[in-house]
Amino acid sequence: MIAGELIVEAEAQKLHAKGEKLSVLMVEDSVADTELIRRELEHGGFDLSSEVVQTAEEFARQVHSNSFHVVLADFNLPQWNGMEALELLRREGLDIPLILVSGALPDITAVDCIKQGAADYVLKDRLARLPSAIRSALQEKQLREERKRAEHELAQKVEELARSNRELEHFAYVASHDLQEPLRMVATYTQLLAERYRGKLDAQAEKYIHYAVDGAKRMQTLIQDLLAFSRVGRQDTTFAPVDCNLILHQALESLQLAIRESGAVLTYARLPEVMANSSQLLQVFSNLLANAIKFRGSDKPNIHISAERQAGEFAFSVRDNGIGIASENAQDVFVIFRRLHTRTEYPGNGIGLAICRKIVEQHGGKIWVTSREGRGSTFTFTLPVTEPVPAAQEKFKQEYVQA
Amino acid sequence: MFKPEILLVDDNPADLDLTSEVLARNERPKRVSSVMNGVEALGFLRHEGKYADTPDPDLILLDLNLPRKDGRAVLAEVKADPLLRRTPIVVFSTSQAEFDIMQSYNLGANSYVTKPGDLPEFVQAVESIENFWFGCARLPRKEEQ
Repeated sequence: MIAGELIVEAEAQKLHAKGEKLSVLMVEDSVADTELIRRELEHGGFDLSSEVVQTAEEFARQVHSNSFHVVLADFNLPQWNGMEALELLRREGLDIPLILVSGALPDITAVDCIKQGAADYVLKDRLARLPSAIRSALQEKQLREERKRAEHELAQKVEELARSNRELEHFAYVASHDLQEPLRMVATYTQLLAERYRGKLDAQAEKYIHYAVDGAKRMQTLIQDLLAFSRVGRQDTTFAPVDCNLILHQALESLQLAIRESGAVLTYARLPEVMANSSQLLQVFSNLLANAIKFRGSDKPNIHISAERQAGEFAFSVRDNGIGIASENAQDVFVIFRRLHTRTEYPGNGIGLAICRKIVEQHGGKIWVTSREGRGSTFTFTLPVTEPVPAAQEKFKQEYVQA
Repeated sequence: MFKPEILLVDDNPADLDLTSEVLARNERPKRVSSVMNGVEALGFLRHEGKYADTPDPDLILLDLNLPRKDGRAVLAEVKADPLLRRTPIVVFSTSQAEFDIMQSYNLGANSYVTKPGDLPEFVQAVESIENFWFGCARLPRKEEQ
């Protein structure tokens, strides 16, 4: 019952909205012409309410005391002209479409009027065009208002974003200083305590001290990791052509020790050049390779890095023969602080892959893993192919030569 | 034998204690003074009021976030003062913010060391500072007072 009533009411409102009177302000000194205009509008399907003014003072009073949908102004009145009405509307910041309805007008004046902001002009001997001129003027006004609203919303969003960025900066500072300081006190003084009373405390007490120091230190690294994660994208994000082979070599260099200790065997195919932030890309490669070494099984790590072009992107893969990931956890590994193992099994905070995902997404790519538990994993990420621009250079050369 | 004068500027008593304790660990003879805010630090360096008889430090370990006058302002004032500017200042702060590091060097800090959150690392950092400034670097000659 209630739903039915609501529908009827909504329909009624719609009809009411449709049947709303068009409220017109006419700037006109000829009674005969006002009558002709009225008749033409009613004929054109408008339900009309109108006021007629002849002087600038009356016009000013009317536009302030009533809200009109449209102003129809004769160009030549004895005391003033339609352009002055336009000027007044602009000065007062009133967005009411004004259509000039006039006798023969020199072309130059008509164009000028439109330039000055008149919505349209209609000759008095072609009044049949007036209803459609009004409809499109109203429509334009509606579009104008929607655009203005959208621009306003956009400006607000930009301002909000700037504010939240400032807050984030501040948060990062608090995290890097104000949160670290008390933690440092806990860690160092507990260590100092242990040092001072070494040999005087029983094993239990030593263990408790170890727990306290370990907790404080873990908290320190968590804060560091959180900072590193929030820094991705806020710091230098300039993209430049990057040779991925060089990046790979840098990554391997930084992992030298782990590679040697684990006896890992690494093979790689030739990699392409991409548009990227080189230090961020290095981080992606380093994190993926470090994981491939860390999450190894009983065999020595065997890792292969390759890239292939698929349509508009390069797909880079890091394949290993490690412990793999159960399919139900394949998405989880990219979530910040999500870990699939205890710290005693595999150290780490669960930040590396979250950072990889953030970086790859910022480069316009995707990252995922295909794996079978116990049978190794393949991490794949994509980066868009960006063509070099010799064509533009060629064009420049040609123009230069011609000039 | 040269007995360096070190001035610690830090508002955290726990940090002052820790740094003094670590400085006292090695054999090198030295004198360590400390003040807890920026106004006191400048008073100390300019021998004002109760600091009339204090020695000129050979090295200043300066924390950044200090009450009354913060470390950045102290750094700027010292490095703008023709009598004080040659005294080496090591900024010794918890902050790892890139901004603080850049700003400190821009203001003329002689180095920037982040206070480590682990005792052995803290000991090592303080020892490194001492060894560099008093074992390796040549310090400016002090005018007789």
